[in-house]
Amino acid sequence: MEERRTIVIDPVTRIEGHSKITLHLDDQGRVEDARFHVTQFRGFEKFCEGRPFYEMPSLMARICGICPVSHLIASAKACDALLAVRIPPTADKLRRIFGLAQVVQSHALSLFHLSSPDLLLGMDADPAKSNLFGVLEQNPALARDGIRLRQFGQQIIERLGGKRIHPAWVVPGGVSEPLSQADRDAILKSVPEALAIAVRTVEWFKSIMERFREEISTFGNFPTLFMGIVKPDVGGLTFYDGKIRIVNASGKIVAEGLDPTRYFDYIGEKVESWSYMKSAYYKPTGFPDGIYRVGPLARMNVVDRCNTPRADQELAEFHELQRTAVLSSFHYHHARLVEILYCVERMEQLLNDSEILDKHVRAIARPNALEGVGAAEAPRGTLFHHYKIDDQGLIRWCNLIIATGQNNLAMNRSVLQVAKHFVRGDRLTTGALNRVEAVIRTYDPCLSCATHAVGQMALHIQLLSPSGEVLDEVARP
Amino acid sequence: MARILIVGYGNPLRSDDGLGWRAAEELSQRLSLPEVEVIVRHQLTPELADNLKSADAVFFIDAAHAGQPGELTCEPVISQPLTSQPQTIHSHQCSPAGVLALAQQLYGATPRAFAVTLCGECFDHGAAFSAAVEAGFPKLTALVEKLARQEAVRPRGR
Repeated sequence: MEERRTIVIDPVTRIEGHSKITLHLDDQGRVEDARFHVTQFRGFEKFCEGRPFYEMPSLMARICGICPVSHLIASAKACDALLAVRIPPTADKLRRIFGLAQVVQSHALSLFHLSSPDLLLGMDADPAKSNLFGVLEQNPALARDGIRLRQFGQQIIERLGGKRIHPAWVVPGGVSEPLSQADRDAILKSVPEALAIAVRTVEWFKSIMERFREEISTFGNFPTLFMGIVKPDVGGLTFYDGKIRIVNASGKIVAEGLDPTRYFDYIGEKVESWSYMKSAYYKPTGFPDGIYRVGPLARMNVVDRCNTPRADQELAEFHELQRTAVLSSFHYHHARLVEILYCVERMEQLLNDSEILDKHVRAIARPNALEGVGAAEAPRGTLFHHYKIDDQGLIRWCNLIIATGQNNLAMNRSVLQVAKHFVRGDRLTTGALNRVEAVIRTYDPCLSCATHAVGQMALHIQLLSPSGEVLDEVARP
Repeated sequence: MARILIVGYGNPLRSDDGLGWRAAEELSQRLSLPEVEVIVRHQLTPELADNLKSADAVFFIDAAHAGQPGELTCEPVISQPLTSQPQTIHSHQCSPAGVLALAQQLYGATPRAFAVTLCGECFDHGAAFSAAVEAGFPKLTALVEKLARQEAVRPRGR
């Protein structure tokens, strides 16, 4: 009988949520398959049924403690569609600032707190030292920058939303309170420091990229489609609204101007028996060929420009990395930094807008439609909220398509690519284990969002023989 | 005048775990002094080190799990080298000692720090306190108010 062996990594550490990885070996001890299992479950889509629609933004924000603002915005946009209202222009701009602040703090968490140990200390570092402490010892200035940048984003969220986590300021029809001049001035005052941090961090990152040639070539470095929302006509970066654009691995546009509210026409979802996370795919190419990526790397690949000066300079440099679309998922880190730059610059533009202190920030209406879709770009990628209500305004059906689920196929394939390259024999070396985890971290997956589940970060890897015997197993709390 | 930071933390939807929030909200009314900053958080995170860097004294208010329900404690928080306490800092959750050590290592900040706790009885879903915490709550806020006022009259940096 042909022997088949497996390695299991359980739990996966320094990511948002619970997961494990199994690596299946052939009879020669080579990795032949890999699976990234998400082992947590929550079921927000089900238990919100029967709730009044206006509760949805606050309820959906509870999906995630890292990106509640993204859920709040997508949910409120779905509710705007139920009301069939156009929200006041100032509310539109304030929601944009709110979303941009969220992206800054989430990207800062991903880069500085979760991935900087890999980047600063190297992929072969002792896991006991490959953490925030290691970064503090090695480069305290970088650690200070991470803390300040995340603080910057969180403070804006707190000023606008009243609190950092699960703010309820974004409501159907707009926002609940206008921006005060004092808060506007305080945020503007903090912009130069945030911009300086963003500029020096992207420079630092570019200076160390050369050390990771092997990782760049093996961390999810394969052709896929890339999807993101862009500003119609100009192809510009946006996190709030626009049309869907899809490019292929050559960088050619394969779909343009798709209506995000018609996502079900072009996005399919497949359930696998071994994971609570659904896998999204591009319907016209089917499953699994319709594999696509979303998030920072995809956004940098689909947009033509950012429309802010410093981010556009960096975007131009980013596009120089590869003549085609930039394929390696290692470059998610780089893309994240370009986006931080954009977010800070764009917030400054919006805060200086002549309408930004206007008091009219909410449109009031009763439900005028029984179905609504809200879409936005969350830090990790395109986010869709889709609700159906009855005549009483109670939720009867809900569907959420989350960024991490859309990256599921690519994450699985990335783990396989890394494992094939770095795992040898029936034992997990520190370097191989670190890299298997690190490639997942490039996507900054939020499993609490993707399964709409609760939990802490952890990793578990198992190495299984062809007969299913556990050959090696590593768990990191 | 010294700068005082009061940090109340916990989950206000988990009954007695909301102690830190309610105490912070009440103290922000009773101690409306320019040198006192009051912060509420679900949990302590590394970013709080930034708030600590300019404080002369800091009070961490939380509900305790161990002890007699309603038992009030106030203990100094001792900063130790971070390498000796890796379990005190995570990206999502830190201990008071961890935040203090981080502030010291990153910014050279050494505020006097106190952990003020009231032992809780019920941490189930809910927004109401147990009888023991409800009874002990005024004592806790009175204690923090008194200590904060004492700290506030000290010269800066002492």
